[in-house]
Amino acid sequence: MSGGSIVEAAGIRKEFPNMASPVLDDVSIDVASGEIVALMGPSGSGKSTLMNILGCLDGPTRGTYSLGGRDVSTLTVRERAWVRLHYIGFIFQSFHLIGDHTVLENVTLPLYYAGVDRHEREARAVELIERVGLGHRLGHRPAQLSGGEKQRVAIARAVSGQPRLLLADEPTGALDTRTGNEVMELLLELHDARALTLIIVTHDPEIAEYCHRQIFLRDGKVVSDGRAHAANA
Amino acid sequence: MPRTRSEVVGRAIRTAIRNPGRTILTMLGLAIGVGAFLAMVSFGTGARSSVMEQFEILGTRVVYIWGNMGRRDFGGNARPLTDADVEALLRDGMTIERVVPRITEVQNVKSAFDRYPTKITGTMPDFVQIREWSMLMGGMFDETDVQQRAKVAVIGTTVARELFGRRDPVGQTITIGSNLPLRIIGVLVSKGEQTTGEDMDEIILIPATTYEAFLGMPMGYHELMIQVRDLGLLETAMVEAVPIMRRSHRLADIEEDDFRMASPAQAAELARFVSTILTSLLIGIAAVSLLVGGIGVMNIQLVSVAERTQEIGIRSAIGASPNQIMVQFLAEAVVLSFTGSLVGVGLGWLVSTLVAQAMSWSGTLSPLTMAGAAAFGTSVGVAFGYLPAKRAAQLQPIDALRHE
Repeated sequence: MSGGSIVEAAGIRKEFPNMASPVLDDVSIDVASGEIVALMGPSGSGKSTLMNILGCLDGPTRGTYSLGGRDVSTLTVRERAWVRLHYIGFIFQSFHLIGDHTVLENVTLPLYYAGVDRHEREARAVELIERVGLGHRLGHRPAQLSGGEKQRVAIARAVSGQPRLLLADEPTGALDTRTGNEVMELLLELHDARALTLIIVTHDPEIAEYCHRQIFLRDGKVVSDGRAHAANA
Repeated sequence: MPRTRSEVVGRAIRTAIRNPGRTILTMLGLAIGVGAFLAMVSFGTGARSSVMEQFEILGTRVVYIWGNMGRRDFGGNARPLTDADVEALLRDGMTIERVVPRITEVQNVKSAFDRYPTKITGTMPDFVQIREWSMLMGGMFDETDVQQRAKVAVIGTTVARELFGRRDPVGQTITIGSNLPLRIIGVLVSKGEQTTGEDMDEIILIPATTYEAFLGMPMGYHELMIQVRDLGLLETAMVEAVPIMRRSHRLADIEEDDFRMASPAQAAELARFVSTILTSLLIGIAAVSLLVGGIGVMNIQLVSVAERTQEIGIRSAIGASPNQIMVQFLAEAVVLSFTGSLVGVGLGWLVSTLVAQAMSWSGTLSPLTMAGAAAFGTSVGVAFGYLPAKRAAQLQPIDALRHE
């Protein structure tokens, strides 16, 4: 793949005030630019917490995290928002679309916050929505869409700000197998077309099959980190 | 940030339109607050100007003197108000321009068409000048009529209607009691009803001399109306009139005044004072209701922030800064408060116009007052919208996202 690490996390520890043991303990992960990584582990293993830190939604208690060569482990709330806006896209299991916004409005949201002018952001969003096959649904509300369609809108929104890193938390968890596979295919297509780095939190081995690499967490520690045998990128 | 303010406001308006229930709830309190505020202001000013008009009917620049004849507490020692008093006041009063005596009693009155008991007033021609009252038809009796004890009368429009229906009363004859026929020489312009319910047009004026000669005046006049030369001399006139009246009534130093004196202008001053206090009180109450409206905005916005916690989390995850989220919620508060205040201005205007019509008050709300109330309502709403907006901005994205 293309060279250089985009994610360099070293010695990440995360404690929460009301918990005896740390949720993450000395986790170190390097992800190369363009890689597709599956983050796996049983519930309570700390994978969501790790994703929050990698996604700059939260900071580590200890350890360093640099994103694209820049240290982001000690940023302020405001600076982290800026990093999320420009570097990171999120995809969630339950889609997390804004209910009173149309498909078009949902997809333009990152561009709106980035200060892109209306004309340009709508042009870009329409192109993306057509790309995910929902060109005929621009003015619909999330409630009018099927689960697969919602996730396609969420994916379009996640990539509309042209992030370098895409974080997907159980992206197919709320979908049936066929729709889930379609969503995965879409993610892989976008990955190839946009030089994205993809980190997917999942406990579905079938989804993990799509990835270059699988990282297993248990009790806040990385227990295995290796290449999958069936990478398809 | 190149995002324009109009776009932020546009989004806030869109959110308001897409959530009509929440929008109406938020606006309601402020709308009622602003409406109540305006209604109170207009009631206050309307009532005050109405009180002023009532006193103007009684004449400006006028001092009234009433006799104490027949009052038991004077033990029968009180002297009647007479022509001698009128002459003394005119002769010795430096500030006095006119003095007009008046006696009024209810008598049976009949015309060729109808009859009913009503008030007969014996007075002088200047009565209409003092009361600033003009003629609808015909004219007022004059000095010659007074000297000759002429059997003439000037009537109000109510009397004209009661006794003559739609016929022209001028030139017709009415009979007072059983034996005093009077020719009608004029009809007074209608002055309508006072708020006390007294019909100002229920009036028959005849020369005082005619009254005395045919109906009798054993207790003298009921009242002397003094018109002063200038409104500023009103108080001086009241001071000056007392010794003149005492001399005219030959009162010893130890005796109390056997007459009373008051001026509508003074009473008006008192009424103005009282109504100013009442108005301030009403406005105070209205201001409290406006405050309550503001607290309503805050409550609904707090509920709204709680309800939309996940949305805030999503926006935050996407990369909205705390400041951008705060601006969003503040913009919504601005839009809701402004719209609510406008609705309130509409309500206030409507209520005050209806009440002004019902009470036949003149003044309604000035555009400045309405603009001021709208601005004040908006500021209150925005001030109270600050706390919820700040709370929204301070939400942690992870907690907010997890919120269901």
